[in-house]
Amino acid sequence: MRTEILPNGAFHSALVHLGPGDAFQSDSGAMFRASSNIDIDVTTRPKRGGGGGLLAGVKRLLGGDSFFLSTYRTTDDGEGEVGLSPTLQGQVELIRLDGSASWLCAGGSYLGSDADLALDLRFQGLKGLFGGENLFFVEVSGSGELLVNAYGRISEVPVDGELIVDSGHVVAFESSLSYRLSKTGSSWVHSFLAGEGIVMRFSGRGRLFVQSHNPKEFGSRLGKHLPPRRQ
Amino acid sequence: MEYSIQYKPSYSLLEVELAAGERIVADSGAMAWMEGPVDTKTSTRGGVLKGLKRKFLTGESFFQNTYSATGEGARVALAPGCAGDLVAYPLVDAELFLEKGAYLASDPGVTCDSKWGGLKGFFNEGLFILRCTGTGMLFFHAYGDIQEIEVDGEYIVDNGYAVAWEPTLDYRLTRARRIRSFLFGDQILLRFSGRGKVWVQSRSAQSLANFAHPFRRVQRKGD
Repeated sequence: MRTEILPNGAFHSALVHLGPGDAFQSDSGAMFRASSNIDIDVTTRPKRGGGGGLLAGVKRLLGGDSFFLSTYRTTDDGEGEVGLSPTLQGQVELIRLDGSASWLCAGGSYLGSDADLALDLRFQGLKGLFGGENLFFVEVSGSGELLVNAYGRISEVPVDGELIVDSGHVVAFESSLSYRLSKTGSSWVHSFLAGEGIVMRFSGRGRLFVQSHNPKEFGSRLGKHLPPRRQ
Repeated sequence: MEYSIQYKPSYSLLEVELAAGERIVADSGAMAWMEGPVDTKTSTRGGVLKGLKRKFLTGESFFQNTYSATGEGARVALAPGCAGDLVAYPLVDAELFLEKGAYLASDPGVTCDSKWGGLKGFFNEGLFILRCTGTGMLFFHAYGDIQEIEVDGEYIVDNGYAVAWEPTLDYRLTRARRIRSFLFGDQILLRFSGRGKVWVQSRSAQSLANFAHPFRRVQRKGD
């Protein structure tokens, strides 16, 4: 298996070349091109100890965007390819996991991964605060390739010590980093008025990818100009 | 006619230089700026019926503008409706199919007509396609990066991401196979076969709209 990032300007996408026996998975809507010998299998992600309630939660969190996975395999023991594209304008980055550490990937940043990698959903709730802004991560473990996407540019920020990042700018990070969620300002009210979301206070040593723009911020700017939806 | 595509691949824009007497046809609304002796004529090219067909069946504009140079030094800049890539394709007594919305501009020798894309009427994208024939340059664009794929055999493209393809390719609409979850809406795929080129885009306006949807304000009952 070989993963190629098509780095064309502002709109990156990924082209995954699959050999016999290889399998790759992505968020269900991400495939935009494929060779004809690719078999697409769509499943909801089984979660240990989870159920319909969890999936419903995921769906709600992502605002109706479902977290269903498509798995791609070649059908004829030959070579095949699958193209994956993110929704927003921006970069795609490849992260290689060697099995020593797992990664946590922000829900909206997960594009696809080697089917050998295990995926698990993690919720970090600060529910009830300010309209119940929630964080949702995909925990990726094992060894293989992980594709993440960003709104704008992705940059890697090595953490050694402490670093504070707005949760909307986090793309993915190694689980060796510990973090806690908090506010930026001196009080929640101050933080809310300042328009800052939840920040993540990272500590320890590990790799972290951040994105130059915050998708939620963009979404709320767009949303203001759209006609209201009925409840 | 001299043309150049500026700011490729993310913010592509078409600049055309016309000698006296030369003309270019463009989607109405595409003109960004122009200078020199340019005469603009708005028409429903191919007659009202063809224009209406184009408008209602493909979502292409009913009107097309023809820019004619009445003297030397005429320049017209044509901009696509969204950020992305632009392709110049020379037609020599040939044909090319475009997805709705992909048409930007063409030489007057190129005729565009809508064509029934085939199959049933419940797909929300690209049911009707644009058939461009004739001789001259054809310019098409898309949201995102445009990737050219040489098909020899079969190739699959998600219905919302196909931009253009050569008539030597056959296509049919299919669904992704083995969908286990009833919750998930079907993914409609275009399955091309034969030998020829297909162009795909790396972003979808529909999927951007889906992204924006949950951010809309909620109107409660009684509001």
